[in-house]
Amino acid sequence: MTERLTVPLTMDLSWQYASGAAMERFCNGLQARRIEALRCGGCGRRYLPPRPMCGDCRLRLTQWVPVGDEGRLEAWTIVHLPILDGRTGETRPSPYGMGLIRLDGADTTLNHFLVESEPARLRIGLRVKAVWRKELLGAMDDILHFEVLP
Amino acid sequence: MNRSGPIRIPFRYAAGETGSRFLVALRDDQRILGSRCTTCERVQCPASSFCPHCGGATPETVDVQPEGNLVSWTEIPGRGVYGLVRLEGADTALLHRLLGPSTTWAIGLRVRARFAEERTGSVCDIEGFEAMEGGRP
Amino acid sequence: MRPVAIIGTGQTQHARCRDDLSQPELVREACLAALHDADVPPSDVDAVLISNMELFEGRAMPELWVGEAAFAARKPCMKVATGGTSGTSGCIAGFHQVASGLFDVVLVVGFEKHSEGHTQTGMALTDPFWDRAVASGALGNFALSVSQYMAERGVTEQHAAEVAVKARRNASNNPHAHLQMPDLTTDAVLSSRMLAHPLRLLDMCPQSDGACAIVIACETEARRRCARPAWVKAAVTRHDQPYLGDLGNRLAEMRTLREAARVAYEKAGIQQPLRDLDVAEIYEPVTYAELAWYEALGFCTDGDAGRLIEEGVTTMQGELPVNPSGGVLSTNPVGASGVIRVAEAALQIHGRGGERQVDGVRTALATGYGVYAWADAIILGEALQ
Repeated sequence: MTERLTVPLTMDLSWQYASGAAMERFCNGLQARRIEALRCGGCGRRYLPPRPMCGDCRLRLTQWVPVGDEGRLEAWTIVHLPILDGRTGETRPSPYGMGLIRLDGADTTLNHFLVESEPARLRIGLRVKAVWRKELLGAMDDILHFEVLP
Repeated sequence: MNRSGPIRIPFRYAAGETGSRFLVALRDDQRILGSRCTTCERVQCPASSFCPHCGGATPETVDVQPEGNLVSWTEIPGRGVYGLVRLEGADTALLHRLLGPSTTWAIGLRVRARFAEERTGSVCDIEGFEAMEGGRP
Repeated sequence: MRPVAIIGTGQTQHARCRDDLSQPELVREACLAALHDADVPPSDVDAVLISNMELFEGRAMPELWVGEAAFAARKPCMKVATGGTSGTSGCIAGFHQVASGLFDVVLVVGFEKHSEGHTQTGMALTDPFWDRAVASGALGNFALSVSQYMAERGVTEQHAAEVAVKARRNASNNPHAHLQMPDLTTDAVLSSRMLAHPLRLLDMCPQSDGACAIVIACETEARRRCARPAWVKAAVTRHDQPYLGDLGNRLAEMRTLREAARVAYEKAGIQQPLRDLDVAEIYEPVTYAELAWYEALGFCTDGDAGRLIEEGVTTMQGELPVNPSGGVLSTNPVGASGVIRVAEAALQIHGRGGERQVDGVRTALATGYGVYAWADAIILGEALQ
């Protein structure tokens, strides 16, 4: 039988994406440590991330509302399995904590990192607070992670 | 606002039965293989597992000459010259690099494969195609 | 809309790594098996659908490379890519193509070769502004949703371990399955390595290389070629909001699967699922999801899923066997997984289940699941009326 070959090829490409008006305002807000959501005029749901319309009501979203940088931990996990970050091709160090956080003033939850990686110290219902990057770039990772409030 | 979104992921592809035979022949023997369809007799080059013409199986690989005719060519500024080459024994044309300035090439020219010194089992084990001496149509 | 039936199925030997075959060779194997099972020569196929996720293997237009392997040369051919639901979406597109009257015989093939790429990475490359910076792949996302689901519905690690055992033991009867563990115990599941709290290794589906194909036919062709066609009684799709955080307690609510099932049951005349269905092949990427799907599919009331698995209601000997094939927990080539659910449901009606055959199957359910909460519900029956 012929030797079976495998051919290695690395995808190494970059695209340029248009953010749209809502995400642009949101990202500019992050650069000023300001978090905002968009409230639906129909169902009242306050959406993070911002988006052009409410999926349930099919209404355009135009009402911006302020959101705090603290909130309630709705879910948590500690990830042990290493994952390749597709933006860089590098493996993200593990273990690391992740949570779903309902920020004060928003109705959807934010999926983000937790600085805590000890399961015994995490439970649903804890109050958490955003830890900001020193240099703000107007992107989602301006928030480095969330810490549990004492 | 525009932001860049890079993607960098390593992949590895199984060449499979026919693909491996083709690449091993390039790497080890500097031979180019085509595949012959058992149903319609067409010879596909590079060798492939199935006949795109009739869907038949192509279990038989056959030697294809490293020489043939230039079917078409183009130059991409900054990238190089590329051509479609129909090698002797194949019914399809092969897309590859042409080695030489744009003034060299014309449809119908006789060309010959030049193999790379270091070969790894890749279509680039053929470095490209060069014009044969006295080969103008 | 014309009646439509599945008249043949075929699949490859699914495994962690099929380096022996290229993507086209893998696809050809499943297509040949399905066409042989259906007794249909390739020339009688009118159109082909291919289910596959481009970014998982990092090549554009998979249908270009594998199309000729799927006998699609010079025929209408379309690729379907909808995450985990790619396979069920492909089957549903095939049903529509035949039901519409445009085509009489359609071949659907789903495939994936996870060993060739980095699936967890690829699937995280969604919204470039929001998702990519905080991605943890399907594993992290499921782990988060599972912790919410456990808190809401009271299911335990032990319940999940029983699902894991059922799946891998069932898979031992399935010659195609990737993971076969006839002697698996709940102790072994509960002591397997923690991947993302609370999900352990044996709570998770594998990543498999494999392909699966089905042949769909109109009534005339089905009655001519097949002794016992699996008629499509209902095929319903529901999708939901684009971000994980939009979905509340995702597994507990699962409004897409609930509604898809409700509409499908109504179309197919299913009033009490446990009684009226004879077998179910449901798309369960993690053990806890199977428990959540029991509730969403109306096999039990909300909060009662633990009792269902404790009492063995969904084992091969129970009232409604769930996943005789071993499910996604035993075999998961993403583009194929949805087709496998439909194929496994169909072959139960065909009576070709071999050692995993459930006795007397007249009505079968197949579901698809993908992304955060996309869902398909498909019901097959042995009789047209």
